[in-house]
Amino acid sequence: MNEDSLVPVLDVTNFSVDYGYGDDAVRAVSDVSFSLGRSQVLGVAGESGSGKSTLVYGLTRLLRAPGVITSGEVTLHLAGERNGEAFNVLTASEDELRQVRWSQVSIVMQSALNALNPLRRVGKEFDEVLRRHDRTSSKTARQERAIELLALVGLAADRLQRFPHELSGGQRQRVMIAMALALRPELVIMDEPTTALDVVTQREIVSELYELRQKLGFAMIFITHDLSLLVELADEIMVMYAGEIVERAPAVELHGAPRHPYTLGLMNSFPPLQGDRVRMTGIPGSPPNLKSPPGGCAFHPRCPSAHDRCRTQAPPLVAIEDGHRSVACWLHDSSSTEVVPVSLSRRAASRIGQGA
Amino acid sequence: MRSMRVPRSPKVLVGLCILGIFILLTLIGPWIAPYDPNDTSFVPNLRPSWQHLFGTTTLGQDVISQLLVGCRVTMVVGFIAGTLATIISLVVGLAAGYIGGRTDEGLSLLSNVFLAIPGLPLLIVINSYLPAGEQANPLVVGLVIALTGWAWGARVLRAQTMSLRDRDFVEAARIIGESRWRIMLGEIGPNLLPIIAASFLFTILYSVGVYTTLAFLGLTNVATWNWGTMLYWAQTNNAALANEWWWLAPPGIAIALVGTSLALINFGIDEFINPRLRAAGLTARQRRRVGMARRPRLGFTPVQRSEVRKKGASS
Amino acid sequence: MRTALRRLGIYVFTAWATITANFVLPRLMPGNPIEQLIGKLQGRVTPEMIAAIKAQFGQGLNEPMWVQYGHYWGQLFHGDMGVSITLSAPVSQVLSSQMWWTIGLIGTAAVVSFIIGTALGVLFGWTRGSRADSIIPVATFLQSVPYYFLGTILIMLFAGTLHLFPIMGAYDSSLNPGWSWAYIASVLRYAELPLTSIVLSSLAGWMLGMRNMMVTTVSEDFVLMAVAKGLPRRSVMWHAARNAVLPSVANLALTIGLLVSGSLLVEQIFNYPGVGNLLVSAVGNEDYPLLQGIFLMITFTVLGANLLADILYYVLDPRTRTASVN
Ligand SMILES: Nc1ncnc2c1ncn2[C@@H]1O[C@H](COP(=O)(O)OP(=O)(O)OP(=O)(O)O)[C@@H](O)[C@H]1O
Ligand SMILES: [Mg+2]
Repeated sequence: MNEDSLVPVLDVTNFSVDYGYGDDAVRAVSDVSFSLGRSQVLGVAGESGSGKSTLVYGLTRLLRAPGVITSGEVTLHLAGERNGEAFNVLTASEDELRQVRWSQVSIVMQSALNALNPLRRVGKEFDEVLRRHDRTSSKTARQERAIELLALVGLAADRLQRFPHELSGGQRQRVMIAMALALRPELVIMDEPTTALDVVTQREIVSELYELRQKLGFAMIFITHDLSLLVELADEIMVMYAGEIVERAPAVELHGAPRHPYTLGLMNSFPPLQGDRVRMTGIPGSPPNLKSPPGGCAFHPRCPSAHDRCRTQAPPLVAIEDGHRSVACWLHDSSSTEVVPVSLSRRAASRIGQGA
Repeated sequence: MRSMRVPRSPKVLVGLCILGIFILLTLIGPWIAPYDPNDTSFVPNLRPSWQHLFGTTTLGQDVISQLLVGCRVTMVVGFIAGTLATIISLVVGLAAGYIGGRTDEGLSLLSNVFLAIPGLPLLIVINSYLPAGEQANPLVVGLVIALTGWAWGARVLRAQTMSLRDRDFVEAARIIGESRWRIMLGEIGPNLLPIIAASFLFTILYSVGVYTTLAFLGLTNVATWNWGTMLYWAQTNNAALANEWWWLAPPGIAIALVGTSLALINFGIDEFINPRLRAAGLTARQRRRVGMARRPRLGFTPVQRSEVRKKGASS
Repeated sequence: MRTALRRLGIYVFTAWATITANFVLPRLMPGNPIEQLIGKLQGRVTPEMIAAIKAQFGQGLNEPMWVQYGHYWGQLFHGDMGVSITLSAPVSQVLSSQMWWTIGLIGTAAVVSFIIGTALGVLFGWTRGSRADSIIPVATFLQSVPYYFLGTILIMLFAGTLHLFPIMGAYDSSLNPGWSWAYIASVLRYAELPLTSIVLSSLAGWMLGMRNMMVTTVSEDFVLMAVAKGLPRRSVMWHAARNAVLPSVANLALTIGLLVSGSLLVEQIFNYPGVGNLLVSAVGNEDYPLLQGIFLMITFTVLGANLLADILYYVLDPRTRTASVN
């Protein structure tokens, strides 16, 4: 897996998205860059409205009007029959995009009830997708494949005869996951697939996803509000605030030692999946209005450690600690004289090392 | 409560303008009419000219005078019927939706019956039983039209009331012990405004249509001028076969224009009620202004690289 | 199943209400229109006829209301709707000879305009934001044009001036009605213009409604999902259209009534033999028995059409068929 992860699946640089045109435009995603390795899981966390969905729908060019992509490059490294081909998503034609969709990149949406056509049996939806991929396949072959896929997510074959409204919320979401895996895509995007479900089902699905990923080896972008959910699943976590990445780090490290005050606040807003109950503090205030973002660091009005510089200058996302994690916060700037709160600092020893 | 910003789309503006003109004509029409609409002393079958802007009829009457005089009755009946129907539908819809239970069952059944019975034949039957004097009375005719035209609005209002019934602010009013009717009118009513407006416009549309139809059939007093009676006389005198378009067209187009204006305003209200209808509202002209080549297509998010960075990004 | 029974109950109740209204209205109206009618008819028609009308509308009878009401139902059950004053024939006979023209004309027009209007609405909703949007103001105007006015204009343009179409009646009167080609061809030919005017005037309404539904549906997640699955645009549109058509079908109840009301007048314009034409002359001649019969017939036909629309909805939407599992 480690070797695999060096081969990229997705490269994103300076990606920005606006809602609206001309003077009415608001920037919902700004200057996001990241890359995702083969069979890696990237977690994206952030409050509601931080631009998580906008980011992934933008990347796949599924974003609806008035969304407009205003800058950046998105490169998809294809696998399967087109192995090795670098696919430029932002210059591709509609037809070229169609070729890549679902067979290379699939997506699971937040609400499974809305994502399934209410007038169709589950089996028909599977059939449509499978036939689209392989027109020569026989109907029975497709049906067998659909049954196989349902089995992957622990559903019985008779669900194929059901209409979406005849399934429970968890079953619907499992159907969506099975469908996302139908064409053995290289990358699966999950936009809060478990948010609408109860906690028990949430955990079941997350652990199933973990196993499926181990077994099938697809890469995954997993979006959630809930950082603690990501720790078990993700290799790396990206935290978004007001359309920007504020912190990015390997999952365990981010969870064990956040560097950005926002990440810390986010962690404190959810109970951990395991372990003792802790008092939930959350983050005071609410996300900024994107129409008139505060000057400087977008988080400063809500930040307990904000100082003068934060109000005037926006901190860039910079690599820290030997470059295996990055953060956009003046606290960790080498020239900063501010006292870093203990909860956000490296262990004392490593902090001395950083100064060098 | 949501903010009451009606979208200022060109459609709504055009609709309001046309409607405004007709309302103005309703007020001043009979005064600015150049001749007496009953005056038969002109040369018959004249084409439009400066003396007779819309020509004359086979009976030697001035068409534009009839149009201007007839505007008032047509519009007044439409508004009376629309207002009455809206009041009925509001009362029925609110009561059915808010009180629920038996009341709802009964009132819903009633509105379903009125929805299922075709309005015009019912109207014709009721109208034909009216004493001859009453058939020409705009108030009576308006009332009868309202009686056949309230059910649609009641159904929509009932559904909306039901969805509002359990909202927090209604709950809160209930807890502090507000009376039922106070809650219905004070709390729920204002939130129904867009739908009330839509149903008001719809019933005016319906009423104008139905009233002119009755008049066209000669079922109202044919001596009172309205646009329907104009068409009645034109039809009786075979204006179509004689190719007298100047006689036919003005009343017909006037009816259609009133209808169009109401429908255009309704578009605006629809877009207000259902934001999905306006979500991607970029006209071709707006697109050109922001330099977009094609309209955004589903699943093909436009890429528009702007060199000029947006405000919030750097400052 | 429960909802199906409920709908059926509503129709049965509506039918009862219509029948009862026919009984009550003439008896309740101020100024007693029937008495006046009988006064006018004295000496013009046979005494038996006058007696029949008196009996039908409860004039000069000493029976209590409810006995009259029971009697009225008894007659209806035997298909007896009284005798038409002007035509001197049983109303049921008059109706059964004329109603097929109306059902044929309006039925065809309704189906044709629903199909074309819905298809256009799907297309215009799908291409929303393109140049095709300029159809909206035109359609809005067309929708507001009264059916009979459009009919008149068509007559003026195509029959009066250009003599392209026949304008009066339903078939060439020199032909013998029967199953001959010439006769059928002439029926079709004579129906063209009335049919066109009904279709043209009702088309725009379907289209605008369907366009709105389509626009609303396209913003649903499952449509975006269809795109994400890499389906061709045509399939994506189909996903949306199938769902968007449901509210249109559910609304048929409201629109069928309006369509029928509008179309009845077209018959009069074109002198088409049928219930609409009959209705107008019945009103003009104060032929109350005929008027009542026509009203019953129209209402029952509309109820039947509503029932069909309900069945169609039931077939189209699986959610109405299966009880929810949860
Ligand atoms: N159609 C739109 N027009 C204008 N602004 C929009 C539109 N859709 C989203 N936004 C704005 O873009 C920002 C990001 O929205 P987005 O849906 O990406 O958030 P999210 O992180 O996915 O939130 P959630 O967790 O609630 O799904 C929000 O501030 C939202 O208000
Ligand atoms: Mg989201």
